Amino acid sequence: MKTENKTLSVAGKKTQLTILGQGPPLLYLHSAGGETEPIPFHEKLAEHYTVYLPAHPGFALSEGLDQIRDIHDLAWHYVDLLNELNLKNVPTVSYSLGAWTATEVKLLRPELIGPLVMIAAAGLHVDGAPMQELFIDSFDKLRELLFFDPKSQTAVDYFPSDVNDPRILMWLRAREATARVGWNPYLHDPKLAGHLHRIEGPVQIIWGRQDKLIPLAHGEYYAKHLPNAKLTVLEECGHMVPYEKTEEAAKIALDFLAS
Amino acid sequence: MKFFAFHLMPWDRLPDDFAEKYDTAWTWLPNQMFDPEHGGQLYNNYLDQLVLADQLGFDGVCVNEHHQNAYGTMPSPNLMASILARQTKNCRIAVVGNALPFYDPPTRCAEEFAMIDCISGGRLIAGLVVGGGPEYYSFSKNPTFAREMYKEAFDLILRAWTEPGPFEHYGEHWKLKYVNPWPRPIQQPHPPIWIPGAGSRETIQFVAQRRFAYMGIPYFHMDFFQRNFDMFRDECEKCDYTADPEQLGWLLPIYTAETDEQAWAEYEPHLWYFVEKLLKGLVVFPPGYTSARSIAGIQKGLKQFMSTCKTREDIEAGGYAIVGSPDTVRQKLSENIKKLGVGNLLGLFQLGTLPHDLTCKNMKLFAEKVMPGLREELNAAPTMQQAAAT
Repeated sequence: MKTENKTLSVAGKKTQLTILGQGPPLLYLHSAGGETEPIPFHEKLAEHYTVYLPAHPGFALSEGLDQIRDIHDLAWHYVDLLNELNLKNVPTVSYSLGAWTATEVKLLRPELIGPLVMIAAAGLHVDGAPMQELFIDSFDKLRELLFFDPKSQTAVDYFPSDVNDPRILMWLRAREATARVGWNPYLHDPKLAGHLHRIEGPVQIIWGRQDKLIPLAHGEYYAKHLPNAKLTVLEECGHMVPYEKTEEAAKIALDFLAS
Repeated sequence: MKFFAFHLMPWDRLPDDFAEKYDTAWTWLPNQMFDPEHGGQLYNNYLDQLVLADQLGFDGVCVNEHHQNAYGTMPSPNLMASILARQTKNCRIAVVGNALPFYDPPTRCAEEFAMIDCISGGRLIAGLVVGGGPEYYSFSKNPTFAREMYKEAFDLILRAWTEPGPFEHYGEHWKLKYVNPWPRPIQQPHPPIWIPGAGSRETIQFVAQRRFAYMGIPYFHMDFFQRNFDMFRDECEKCDYTADPEQLGWLLPIYTAETDEQAWAEYEPHLWYFVEKLLKGLVVFPPGYTSARSIAGIQKGLKQFMSTCKTREDIEAGGYAIVGSPDTVRQKLSENIKKLGVGNLLGLFQLGTLPHDLTCKNMKLFAEKVMPGLREELNAAPTMQQAAAT
């Protein structure tokens, strides 16, 4: 598959951008896990679109985390990035931290983000459905938290094996960049819920029934309060939707964007 | 050479099945385990032990700050220090320290420390610390801002002590129109400042440059202290001065009894309670608390941490605790103090479940049979580092 690696300067911040596939542009905003190198889910999207896959500041080779103080700074970074790429009304697929970010961008500049796919989105606090602790050290416990089947090969391969794994530094950087915007308030923006009625464009929400990090109640809240949203729930699936249900989730996203 | 009695004020009643049932003695350990009646008794015993240290001729006592845990039940060391300011007469009172990012605004720390310094007649040593990793979970305080909050608070507190108020402080984390704390400390320009560290070069450089004192974070292998203290002396040389041994402090558990065998027999169950239960979950590095590279490095350094010990031999080989008869304790301390080149010994004389009577016996034996000889020997002979420097 055609893949291009670029380094942009976005308002002075060095930003890693991977571009893959062919077709009209599609923006993918990644999760706290930092899927900044193409994964099979991206490749499915890239069969129909030119997928723009930027790394958030502090993730992978992107810099400028010192200029990010909260989620709104991250959202403004994407306003700058989309202007830099000259993209408007761009179809967007977003996951977890990325989906929260996409929502905030859509509030700031509604014309930049087109039809929006939100997978297992962070961003809300829902009474009675607390998000579990993501910032723990044990990879075994993280597997239990994030995957429906923590013993699957996907779950085993997902994390660095130990502190000697060469991926550990990138992992620690991703954790830091996530904590920067999501430590407190924990993975949410207390004002976001009150803004949801202002997001008028079409939204496809996708959630894993057994998501323990961000319970399904958050997906239901988004679906209820976004004026033009549809929720699809995947069975036997945890938080790691693009990894656990690659085919199904890609199909739902592509069908929605094509409609 | 200065001798300090350091207290953590630990919780001594964790259940026998703690190791199997709980991952940590920190942050998430259910507070229903804390029995307030017993807690009150412990606080009073622990304070009595520190008052005893003053009566026995220790140069100082140390208290410190931890939150939501069983390891050290002293969320406010300033409360304890203010009691000690009244109940001790001669010794230094070292609060090591106040975790600055949790004081809002940090001028609270400047105020409370000045109060303690005034009440004690200028006996305060001011420890200014970042706060432990677990505390960033306990306070939901963003650890990615820990270092810059600490630095801003540190500079503000020093300014508040040394610059006539009122003045304005408009920083990144605090915006204060009127900084003008009453009271001011007796010690001028400000109380001595101690900063603990676990070996990061950034902290060591900072302390060396500002000519403050560096306290090694405990429970590491002797080699780990040696490396850090050597690094500190190198950094002082780079700043064109030779480190004073009193700029360095070595903190470790000490237990003295009539004979080596008696000391180990009396001490061991309490030591293992500490190692196996209270240390569990202490070493946690939340994201951004220090650089990703440092976190990866420290994780590897944990091979030299006390919680890896399984036997008395492990403890003795690494110098994690000094246990024995007065002669043994004196000889081991003398050897290591000279090697490390430190001018402050911070002894933990109570540890884990060690009961009040044994703690007092430990301190008395130490004060009567170890301290005087060590004082004489170490004040007479320059340390290896001093000898090398002159």
